[in-house]
Amino acid sequence: MEEGVLRKVDHSALRVNQAVIILALLVGFIVNVPWLIAAVAFFMLLGTAIGRPGFFFFYTGLLKPARIVRPHVLMDNPEPHRFAQGFGGIVAAGSAVALLLGAAVAGWVLAWVVIVLASLNLFLGFCAGCAVYYWLNRLRVPGFSRTPPAGTIPGMRPRG
Amino acid sequence: MSELLLRTVYALVIVGACIAAYFGVRAFVLWRARGQAGSLLQFIRGIPGVVLFTTPECVTCKVIQRPALAELKSRLANRVQIIEIDAAERPDLARTWSVLSVPTTFVLNAEGRPVHVNHGVASTRKLMDQLSLRD
Repeated sequence: MEEGVLRKVDHSALRVNQAVIILALLVGFIVNVPWLIAAVAFFMLLGTAIGRPGFFFFYTGLLKPARIVRPHVLMDNPEPHRFAQGFGGIVAAGSAVALLLGAAVAGWVLAWVVIVLASLNLFLGFCAGCAVYYWLNRLRVPGFSRTPPAGTIPGMRPRG
Repeated sequence: MSELLLRTVYALVIVGACIAAYFGVRAFVLWRARGQAGSLLQFIRGIPGVVLFTTPECVTCKVIQRPALAELKSRLANRVQIIEIDAAERPDLARTWSVLSVPTTFVLNAEGRPVHVNHGVASTRKLMDQLSLRD
């Protein structure tokens, strides 16, 4: 169990990422375009692989330089957020596969699961994937070494 | 009805249900906090107030929320009372007031009943509107 090694995490980058994911999935649902869901899954999984929010370029290349969104740096663990994005990416990929195989109901239900969980994070500051990460940490599952920041409910955005 | 329109309606219904659930939770937080006003020993009955939950590490509280409350106090003087609670020092109060993040502000009426809750930064203007007071 590792504790006390928090790093700076820009929560604005995470929130922009969540907003783009929600918007893209909503548009994909409304216009009924499964490839858009596949694209979202691709960027989420790519971001997880390189350790950044999948749609970080919207933040670093557009919204931050234009001062539309200001950095909100908190001392936090980046690993649970990476895990959460990877988990969401897998669910989105499952959604895309189901849609491409013709299982429309299952596919859209999975897409809406991602939308709702990303909305919980964006609007209420609760990261369900992070909560799962910390729960696995409590169960001493190897690879889940980080504990929640002091005084923070597992999955909630750190106070600060 | 075209498929596009139908899907838009579905999306709106789902989003609407989520928003309704969010406001339901907010209403629940206020309802739960109503029984807790007595736990604030500093509260003076007869004067509306703002309760700020913060922590020593909360930079947003220090840089944005506190100055907003200082401005509110300077505009309204003794027509408002500001109560600051360190959530790290008083986790019992943070729990009973359902505070999960800081800054969180509760607006109390003159009887000490919470009437509004703000998760995140609340501007001076917003707090004045919620207090129904003008300078």
